[in-house]
Amino acid sequence: MRPIVLFLALLFGSALAASAQSREEIVLTGGPALRYLEHGKAASHDVYWFNFVDASVIRLKELKDQAKPDDLVTWVVYRAGYASRSRELEMNLLPQIEAKAKQLGVNLVWFDTKEELIRYLNKGLDRDKTKISNFDYFGHSNKACFLFDYSNTVDTMSVTFLHVRDLKKIERDDFASHAQCKSWGCHSGEMYSAWWKSHFDIPMTGAIGKTDFSHGGEPVLSNADGKWTQ
Amino acid sequence: MSRTSFFHLGVLGFLAAFLLLPLRAEEAEATYTPPAGSAPPVAPPVRKGSPLDHLANDIKLATPTVGYKEGHTSAPEYWVAHRFVDDMGGSGWGWVKKKGDSWGSAKWVALQENPGTATAPYRKLLTHDADNNWEFKFWGSFAPYKAYDPHLDEMVPVFVLEGYEVVGPKDSLTLRAGPSDRVRHKPSGASSRSNRPILTDPGVD
Repeated sequence: MRPIVLFLALLFGSALAASAQSREEIVLTGGPALRYLEHGKAASHDVYWFNFVDASVIRLKELKDQAKPDDLVTWVVYRAGYASRSRELEMNLLPQIEAKAKQLGVNLVWFDTKEELIRYLNKGLDRDKTKISNFDYFGHSNKACFLFDYSNTVDTMSVTFLHVRDLKKIERDDFASHAQCKSWGCHSGEMYSAWWKSHFDIPMTGAIGKTDFSHGGEPVLSNADGKWTQ
Repeated sequence: MSRTSFFHLGVLGFLAAFLLLPLRAEEAEATYTPPAGSAPPVAPPVRKGSPLDHLANDIKLATPTVGYKEGHTSAPEYWVAHRFVDDMGGSGWGWVKKKGDSWGSAKWVALQENPGTATAPYRKLLTHDADNNWEFKFWGSFAPYKAYDPHLDEMVPVFVLEGYEVVGPKDSLTLRAGPSDRVRHKPSGASSRSNRPILTDPGVD
């Protein structure tokens, strides 16, 4: 075999092997604030307990509709936030989330800590075989942090979060090289997107300014000068 | 699979990738249009007698009532707590020290409240800063975790409140508000907003 033919065969063979990998599309959903801790504030968050859940469901349905038969669509949800809001509401929200996941036909993964989330991203599936090809985040955030817990344990603060400094704990090759990533939370485009790109070498779309979940559906930019950026 | 078949598959893969890559780029550049939203459900009525009902409907006081107790306050060991509103706009509550220790050993804390048992004393007041520079006895313990303050991008020790007693107003302490590692000479660059008052827009959603 001539060297050029051997080279092409190896090159295209590798491409075929890569295309044979399965893909996982992930939607990550943070928890709501407690009404007790938000009471009386001018900007009182999460009057509706499923604002992030409903937005996630819309996105999950889009992903499910677009997915190939072998693609895995996974919904990763911060359980502790919904458990605590359930106690306040005196209505168990967890079975409702499980029912939504079942109805959508997606894999539901609960987490209570940052470590559990990172463990799932790194080792939940064999990342040599199954790369993350899509990542969406719905939840509270500032420009440096995804706040899975916000005003739910401590007023106006977070005890479970993923700071930009935590990104290095997530393996770079968990993601496919052309993965589509987006944070629907506030301010992510002002810092988080740049750190994401720097660590994973893939862009993450994020908002300049705030996003608004209060209208139902997927969130929209709420600042007049707001925009999406990478 | 023969060498020839393998080569043909490779060529097909190359052609497929060549044809599909531009499509992926176009998709990435397209603007996503969200579907029209519908109004979220209305929250159920607040149950009479629930912590939220008390918070929303009880008459508020101008200042704390000296000697007032809330929650579990029978244990002999307690902490001494000095309320101070952070002039940097952080969400910490104030300082806490062990009974008998000096204020030099005090820690700046975030308060983890227990609605239904004991909540921050200012919940009973007209404004959240009406107990500024008041002293309290606190019953509770430090949590094994810290809280992240998204306004100032800093970590604050958490005191889990189980009960309190109002001691009274005190002179301002000669301590700097905030955790011991707070950056003082310049903003951290990571907070979502600068020095925003706590009860307006917290810069997150």
